[in-house]
Amino acid sequence: MPTSETDHHHTIHALYDFISEHLYLNRPDLEVDGEKFNSALLLSLLTALLGGKELVIGEPGLGKTTSAEYVCALLYRIPLGVLWGSEVAGHPEQTEEKMVGRPDLGKLNRGEEQVVWSNFVQLPVKIIDEINRLPETKQSLILDGIDRGNWEYLNQILLQDEYCLFATANYQDQGTQTLIPPLLDRFDVMVESKHPGANLSFFISQQEQKEHLLRDGECEREFYAVLLDKVAPEGKRAKLEEVGGRFAGLLHERHNLTTLEKEERRTLRAAIAGLEFSAEASAFTRTALTELSFCCTYGQKRSNEECLEGCHYSGYLCYQVRNCASNRLPISLRRYAQALAWLLSSSQVEAEHVRCVFPFVIAHRVQWRDAYVSAREREARRDPLPIHLAKQAVAEIWHRFVEQREQIMGALAQAARILAGEDLQPLEGDHPIFVEIKRDLGGDQLW
Amino acid sequence: MNLQEIITAVWPRVRRKHLFPQLPTPRVGENASTAAVEMQHKQIVLNAAFCEQLAANMPLEEVVEASLDHGVAHYTRCPWDFATHLRLHAAAKEVLQDREMAQRATDAFIDVVADTFCVKEFETALPQLYKHLERGPLATAMAALYSRIWGIDLESAAPEGLIRRLSRISYLDRTQWEKSMRRFCRLIRPILEEEQQQEEGMSSAPLGQHGLGGHSQNEVEQGLREFARQAANPREFHETVADFAEELAGQGYTDAQEGMGRGKGQQLDTDLLYYMKLAESYHLPVRKAPLQRSSSLDLYAHAPWELGKPIQDVDVWTSFGKILPGLTQTWLRQHGEVVGRREGVPDCIIAIDSSGSMTNPRYLLSYAILGAGCVCEAYLRHGAQVAVYNFSDAPAGDSLSLDFTTDRKRIYQSLCRYFGGGTALALDEFDELRRRGRRSVPDVFLITDMAITNLEPLTAYLSQTEGRLTAVHIGETEAAVYFKKATAGWKNVSVFAVTRKEDIPRIILGQVKEYLRPGQRGV
Amino acid sequence: MVNPFREFHAIQGGRREIPLDRIIASKDLILDRLIVGYHKLIEEEVHNLVWLVDHGALPRAYAAAEKAIAEVNFTVEDVEDFCFTLEKADSFALALAGPSGLYLSAMCNRVEGTEISLRLKGLKSRVHLLGYRLPEGKRLIVEGSCGDFAGAAMEGGEIIVQGNTGNWTGVGLKRGKITVEGNAGERTGEWMEGGEVQVKGRIGSLGQVQGGKVYLGDLQVAPVRETT
Repeated sequence: MPTSETDHHHTIHALYDFISEHLYLNRPDLEVDGEKFNSALLLSLLTALLGGKELVIGEPGLGKTTSAEYVCALLYRIPLGVLWGSEVAGHPEQTEEKMVGRPDLGKLNRGEEQVVWSNFVQLPVKIIDEINRLPETKQSLILDGIDRGNWEYLNQILLQDEYCLFATANYQDQGTQTLIPPLLDRFDVMVESKHPGANLSFFISQQEQKEHLLRDGECEREFYAVLLDKVAPEGKRAKLEEVGGRFAGLLHERHNLTTLEKEERRTLRAAIAGLEFSAEASAFTRTALTELSFCCTYGQKRSNEECLEGCHYSGYLCYQVRNCASNRLPISLRRYAQALAWLLSSSQVEAEHVRCVFPFVIAHRVQWRDAYVSAREREARRDPLPIHLAKQAVAEIWHRFVEQREQIMGALAQAARILAGEDLQPLEGDHPIFVEIKRDLGGDQLW
Repeated sequence: MNLQEIITAVWPRVRRKHLFPQLPTPRVGENASTAAVEMQHKQIVLNAAFCEQLAANMPLEEVVEASLDHGVAHYTRCPWDFATHLRLHAAAKEVLQDREMAQRATDAFIDVVADTFCVKEFETALPQLYKHLERGPLATAMAALYSRIWGIDLESAAPEGLIRRLSRISYLDRTQWEKSMRRFCRLIRPILEEEQQQEEGMSSAPLGQHGLGGHSQNEVEQGLREFARQAANPREFHETVADFAEELAGQGYTDAQEGMGRGKGQQLDTDLLYYMKLAESYHLPVRKAPLQRSSSLDLYAHAPWELGKPIQDVDVWTSFGKILPGLTQTWLRQHGEVVGRREGVPDCIIAIDSSGSMTNPRYLLSYAILGAGCVCEAYLRHGAQVAVYNFSDAPAGDSLSLDFTTDRKRIYQSLCRYFGGGTALALDEFDELRRRGRRSVPDVFLITDMAITNLEPLTAYLSQTEGRLTAVHIGETEAAVYFKKATAGWKNVSVFAVTRKEDIPRIILGQVKEYLRPGQRGV
Repeated sequence: MVNPFREFHAIQGGRREIPLDRIIASKDLILDRLIVGYHKLIEEEVHNLVWLVDHGALPRAYAAAEKAIAEVNFTVEDVEDFCFTLEKADSFALALAGPSGLYLSAMCNRVEGTEISLRLKGLKSRVHLLGYRLPEGKRLIVEGSCGDFAGAAMEGGEIIVQGNTGNWTGVGLKRGKITVEGNAGERTGEWMEGGEVQVKGRIGSLGQVQGGKVYLGDLQVAPVRETT
């Protein structure tokens, strides 16, 4: 059966439509393959689907946290009231005990060590409100836990096989901590939850208690009962899934919405991960990654080294960026491009899908030269500056790729044959990717 | 299927062929005046009458697909961006010396490039479309050229020598476009002249002209900046950009006030635009509100308590009332960071010399204006205000004062005003302007060749003033040496001697940056 | 070893080819060969040519130029394009005034076709010796100005210079016609044996005209007509 006909597509599209029509009302600001989406909602959906990590920025009160809550409530079958009780609020005095777990005081007084894990850790959905108000050590603690899929406290470990993270951040103001680059790099995507416009905003004001669409007192009590039960977390999973199933039944009954059980989510993730990149999508990705990591003089970008004036490649982005693309970047890019392609029922990942998610993958990761920022900061735009800069950068790379597509793909094909043993010479071209290819073929002078 | 439905059906195929251009689904234009294929706000508009007329000779779907191929190729291939469009037009104008002919030639060249790209890269019905298009003299020659370079007979005849020569141009080599454009123009010039003399006037490109519709406002801005950088002088910029005045006016590039002696009116002041765009190209990135360390130590994070550590910072809540290594937690403290105030960036008065000894900014690049423009950009970026005192023989009335403002256009208008007379500064006028500063003491930025007749009184006046002074002079004149000697002991003055005019913007930027960003390295 | 390119292995770079590709490739090939020939000429003869007019040096250099292009099959358009290359040349050697003129003359004299238009307007330096030995039946139209020795030793062709010419215009002219729409420099018509030089602007000075006619506008200035 072709991918486009699978039920899962209908399910996920229906969830998107339900949220966009009833819960998170906002304008579409993204068009891909002829379909229009709201970027915050789309990326939140993809994050929840994939089990990714998303940083949502925006002005206070514009739905940063709620967009994630709506998506997760439906994707993971967890009532809103439970999600609220599991969120971590960012503030400087936040402690590991509130976020991760604490000793069972009764047992501690009896000289036994037993950890009571927090709801945040136990649920697959992790939402951190205002992460930039957390000190770096706490930010790191959470991201470490998510990266590894395990949580440690008092030498006890909780293992998780399914999780996603949503962290919100206000723009920098007094009392905020900096999100340092190594931590930012661990987020897959960054997106802004935008103002919906005066008309939608006014319309939203007339919606009363829309959260009730995703709440149920009975289910929430059942959830809490399982979460607070002091049995080992591994033993609770089946129970949580069972309670979630009852909530899913209610959702279907009330809103005619189908949701996915854990096994279905796993199948779906496998389907997404199985989507191949088209040759063009792969070539474009490589071209873009080259521009974000290449340096002809110093071998690669390094944040403590600045490009020389008059470099031959000053027309490329490598001249404009200060840091080097990490290995996490292509992972995020691949996963989100695959998820988008899957959502759009494409049989493979096209260059268009990569282009669409690319700005959101690099917006928080790339550090631009001051001159590049100031050249663009006054431009007309609809996005916050980091996302605008990322979109412009991707458009630039795209433009170059479209022009040099045949040569770049030819050079990659030639390189494949050379490495397969054919007696050929690498192709020449202006884009730095041609140099990168030569380096891979051993043509770089090492001494 | 109606035309819009055909477009919708064909569009995904066209997008894929052109590697997914970021363009919305095209639409049908019913207006008779619409060109065959037009780009409006990045949306391709196909003329219904045109499509239907051609549908008599070929399937409507092919007409639509070929037209869309043509429209998209303009976006993705040629003219590529607005700066390239301007450069191509400038090359054509250089040869043809006539706006109308240059526009027609540019359109024709862009068409050859875009359509040849399509024919070379993928299946397209463009040749069939060209076969059935109505043709004026130039279109006839172009169709004959297409027959030759595409290898498809379009049933068009033109002089063999001309076609042979036209077919030797490297249309698909972007690095050669300007050179190719010049050659192209020389060759088609007789046809353009013939068309111009026709009763009905010059023909337009058979599939429509190329305007700004394919470029967003940001792309136009960027194109103008790039073209300003590449133009040899303001005149070249003016001659090319003025040809796009009407379209640029549609994008808001009008000048409602007097500037550069062009008189009042809604015309586009290209000279002002030139200096504005050029100055924008020299960026001075500065932090608006640097973070400063606050004096208090804030609770920052937890760390395990170890034996021997003081216990006053133990967090009793997270330690569960116990003092046990590994369980007990202690607070770490760090300095808080608060947002600094903006007082580091005062307002600025730019005093610019526009006497006869300075370059006339309309004909040659005035580095004085460029330097002043860079300074203006730097201060405005910081939210500071800028005042301008433009002087030639000020006591005789050749001066202009602009009060502190953030209005860039008015600042540039004041900077670009050229008096071209003697050089004297009216100190009372200058002093009055300086005192109008509303926020602290303004900085003074003086740019001149120092051939100021009342330099001594000016120096004496400046010695009495507070605030920082940056003076830039061109060449090591006696007056400049005097000024440097006189100000050598002053702490608030930086004087730059410039022997190469090209150094002015860089030096100014470096200095301004230095005092706007204490502790940062220069540009 | 990991082959990070393996997914591209099957991709063939076979782009569609259109006649334009062949035309450009063939043009570039011929132009390259003409430029190579030109460099060869410079290497061999530049010392003689720099000091010009040693009587034996010129025919020898011309013979070298003829030899340099002997193997190249070029057209009138190639000659024009070579001129265009000179216009854009940054290389000092390529823009050398004497050799470039002699080389161009050799090309004009050999190429098939009767009418050749050369654009010299944008050249950084003036081209000397243009039209050297131009044979009968050839017409050379020059857009812009020539350097010295325009139409030297011409053998029956016609040159129309739409700008000015330098000194020694028509030196040693045997047969044919030179029309200068602007001005001509000193010693115009020096050692002319026949043919006609017509200058529509001004003439710096006349050389020793031994045969043929020199006109200033419609007025014959050499040999001076005896008034009856």
